[in-house]
Amino acid sequence: MLQYLIFSAILFAIGLSGLFINRKNIIVLLMSIEIILLAANTNLVIFAKYWGDITGQAFVFFVMTVAAAEAAIGLALVVLVFRDKQTINIQDLDQLKG
Amino acid sequence: MEYAFFLIFAAVALIAAAMVILSRNPVRAVLFLILCFFATAATWLMLNAEFLAITLVLVYVGAVMVLFLFVVMMLDIDFAILRAKLTRWSPIGLALAIAVFALIAEIIEKDQIAFGQHGDELSKIAETGNAAKLGEIVFTNYLLQFELAGILLLVAIIAAIVLIYRGPRSRKLQSIPKQIAADPKTRVHLVSGD
Amino acid sequence: MYDIKPLAIIIIISPLLGAIMTGLFGKALGKRNSHLIACGLMTISFAASCYLLYGFLQGKYQPWNRYLYTWANSGGINIGVGFLLDNLSVLMVAVVNFVSLMVHVYSIGYMHDDPGYQRFFCYISLFTFAMLTLVMANNFMQLFFGWEGVGVLSYLLIGFWFDRPSATFANLKAFLVNRVGDVGFIVAIAAVLNYTGSLDYTSVFAQASNIAANSNAINLICIGLFIGAAAKSAQIPLHVWLPDSMEGPTPISALIHAATMVTAGVFMIARMSPLFEYSEMALTIILIIGALTTFMMGLVAIVQTDIKRIIAYSTLSQLGYMVVALGASAYAAGILHLVTHAFFKSILFLAAGSVIIALHHEQDIMQMGNLRRYMPITFAAMLIGILSMIGLPGMAGFYSKDLIIETVAMSKVPGATFAYYIVLFSVFITAIYSFRLLFLVFYTDARMSQDIQQHLHESPKVITIPLLLLSIPAIISGGILISQVVHGFFGSAIFVLPQHDVISEFAVHDFSGALNMFLHSFTSLPVYFALAGGVAAWLCYIKLPDMPNRIIKFNSRLYLLLIDKFGFDKFNAVVIVPIVNSIANICSNFGDKTCIDGVVVNGSARVVVKTSGLLRRLQSGYLYNYTFMMIAGLFVILLWFFVLRKFG
Repeated sequence: MLQYLIFSAILFAIGLSGLFINRKNIIVLLMSIEIILLAANTNLVIFAKYWGDITGQAFVFFVMTVAAAEAAIGLALVVLVFRDKQTINIQDLDQLKG
Repeated sequence: MEYAFFLIFAAVALIAAAMVILSRNPVRAVLFLILCFFATAATWLMLNAEFLAITLVLVYVGAVMVLFLFVVMMLDIDFAILRAKLTRWSPIGLALAIAVFALIAEIIEKDQIAFGQHGDELSKIAETGNAAKLGEIVFTNYLLQFELAGILLLVAIIAAIVLIYRGPRSRKLQSIPKQIAADPKTRVHLVSGD
Repeated sequence: MYDIKPLAIIIIISPLLGAIMTGLFGKALGKRNSHLIACGLMTISFAASCYLLYGFLQGKYQPWNRYLYTWANSGGINIGVGFLLDNLSVLMVAVVNFVSLMVHVYSIGYMHDDPGYQRFFCYISLFTFAMLTLVMANNFMQLFFGWEGVGVLSYLLIGFWFDRPSATFANLKAFLVNRVGDVGFIVAIAAVLNYTGSLDYTSVFAQASNIAANSNAINLICIGLFIGAAAKSAQIPLHVWLPDSMEGPTPISALIHAATMVTAGVFMIARMSPLFEYSEMALTIILIIGALTTFMMGLVAIVQTDIKRIIAYSTLSQLGYMVVALGASAYAAGILHLVTHAFFKSILFLAAGSVIIALHHEQDIMQMGNLRRYMPITFAAMLIGILSMIGLPGMAGFYSKDLIIETVAMSKVPGATFAYYIVLFSVFITAIYSFRLLFLVFYTDARMSQDIQQHLHESPKVITIPLLLLSIPAIISGGILISQVVHGFFGSAIFVLPQHDVISEFAVHDFSGALNMFLHSFTSLPVYFALAGGVAAWLCYIKLPDMPNRIIKFNSRLYLLLIDKFGFDKFNAVVIVPIVNSIANICSNFGDKTCIDGVVVNGSARVVVKTSGLLRRLQSGYLYNYTFMMIAGLFVILLWFFVLRKFG
């Protein structure tokens, strides 16, 4: 079981570092988030097997629904940003600067 | 045997994930992500999550990833600009990610846990069908949540459409940014009354 | 007999209603409807107050004291709206309402062409309401409310013609001087609250002897109250606003600055007699201040040439009489003089207004003369007013003034002897300036321009009828009220210690009916002083017209001092104003600009700017910085979790 947990932890860490390493493309940022979600889902699946309870898998089911919705909205926003700024370079997007 | 398969698929998944964040071409990144999902789906099969593994492939790879690919290709991005080097802050971010992983690993190792400590129900129901069992629990205990998830998806669809929708081009709408940007000097002519 | 409560409400609400209707809907109502409504409601109020006064005179009503409404209840202090109707306040209410009604009617004629017609009626109705609130109050808070109300209305009415710089200057002056008095008044009210824990008249008066026995607080309270009264009733040195207030329309001078508001201080002291009785110190101060005011302001009146200012100074002098009476503990005499003065002084002002209108707003008596030919009714009214004021035996003013002089003579309050000689001599002065006014305006040769002289005629009926109506009480009210007053008409409303009770002493030893008082007067000094004054004025202004100039040449210093009004205004301008200005500058520069603006207002803003300047650096606007923060937070939580597991 340990190997599965380590696997999902590494997946999670890769997703995290993707958020930092990638400074250019907002879509890759979204993909990093998908990887993080995948790691979380994997953990749920692992513990569903550990406890012998199908409920964990039901949760994965719902998480995937939310993730799909998030991806759809996120991509729509990316399209909007691109339409407005003609770029999806994260370093150009600093309207929130105080 | 099973362990060997796990190692292969896990390695593929991890390498693919690493390539997603390292590759400089977004199209490639999406394709590596699809590979990552495939490999992870394989590991899920070994965890007795057959239905979810299929769903991951069908829904994620089939729909969401295609959407990603679609958007990446649709946007007229100058890939040359995006192909910049890692910035100077990335080592710190990387270090933080590794530190988080190390902490998680440390916490996992402390717990001497293994499969089978609480029975092996899921591999038994694999005989009757994982989908049937999952359906049973989703349509009974989690019916309300299931319906909510459906509504969530509907809302997401509508939201995505509303966000992207530009409106019919033929309509003569007032352009508010234009109105705000209007300069009174060019609009009002003061006539001196002699 | 009706219950008192509805009567009280009718009396006080009617003027308020009139003010609201003419004030808010004046434009819509038009001039005619506005004055009909205002006068009609005043008539209702006056009728109700007459009915009430009649009931009290007949003894059919008993003093009535009740709270009708709780205004505020804070820290155990109950501030209510309530009315105290006893002989004192009912008499006062009737007088106020009568004069107010006459002025309302008179104003229809006097203000006829004024653009602010409806506003004027709104103000005088509102003034009447405030005055009635003051008079009918049964607690200090309501008294203060009415007190400030009449102050505000006085301010508005003095500055009624606000496009005249002199009017706005005068109303500001009146307002500021009254603020000085209010400081004393507020301190006194605060002291009352501190020492008695109540603002209700009844409970405060009940504790008066206790306070007096235990501390000097009674002196503080009484002197504070008197400072308030001195500002409102224009006693030296806070009298400076009253002559200037003549910038207002003449009906206002009659109503507010002669008959009612300026007597509020006198009324208030009479109402507070249970407190003042225990403070011999305050009584002495009142006596001396009153006597000085009587004498000095009478002297100033002799040299004035503006008809309204002469009457204004005579008002100051007469107010001095009332205050002297209060100081001698002869509160009833003071109130009696207040009542008779209200009548004859409003006649003088309204008659002066009639003259002013006839001469097209000419106020200088040197430009008048021989007007008795053209304005017989005005002349008759003015003559009655003046005879009443100088105390011709039989007239109203005679009884009240004689009562004051007699009681001051009997008083044993320190300073009473001094006051007695001064008020006695003031009778002489009163006669001089009154007859001077009469002779210069209605006798001698006409000095106005030919143009005006040809158009001279008697004023319209709305002006003459109030004059005639006011003449009746100016003649008879003294004779009617004197025996009532002397024999304790005010009952429990006015409290006098036995050793101070000069009125009773007078009643026992010297008084045997109004008629005897009239006959007896020819053997006493005041009448001869008045006669001497009259003769002196006759000599100076009719027989030997160059006499005044010779006197001026003979003693020009005194003349200049009088023209300078004893230099009160100069003193204020040279001493008080710079001191106040420099204190205000310190407050403004250090207190306001440095402390409040600099430290509190701008300082807090600066702190926010500085700290937010530091914090805004965190807001780079880059997504990855925000995620970095999030992950760093996650890391810290994980670390904490880890540390707990390892060491916890």
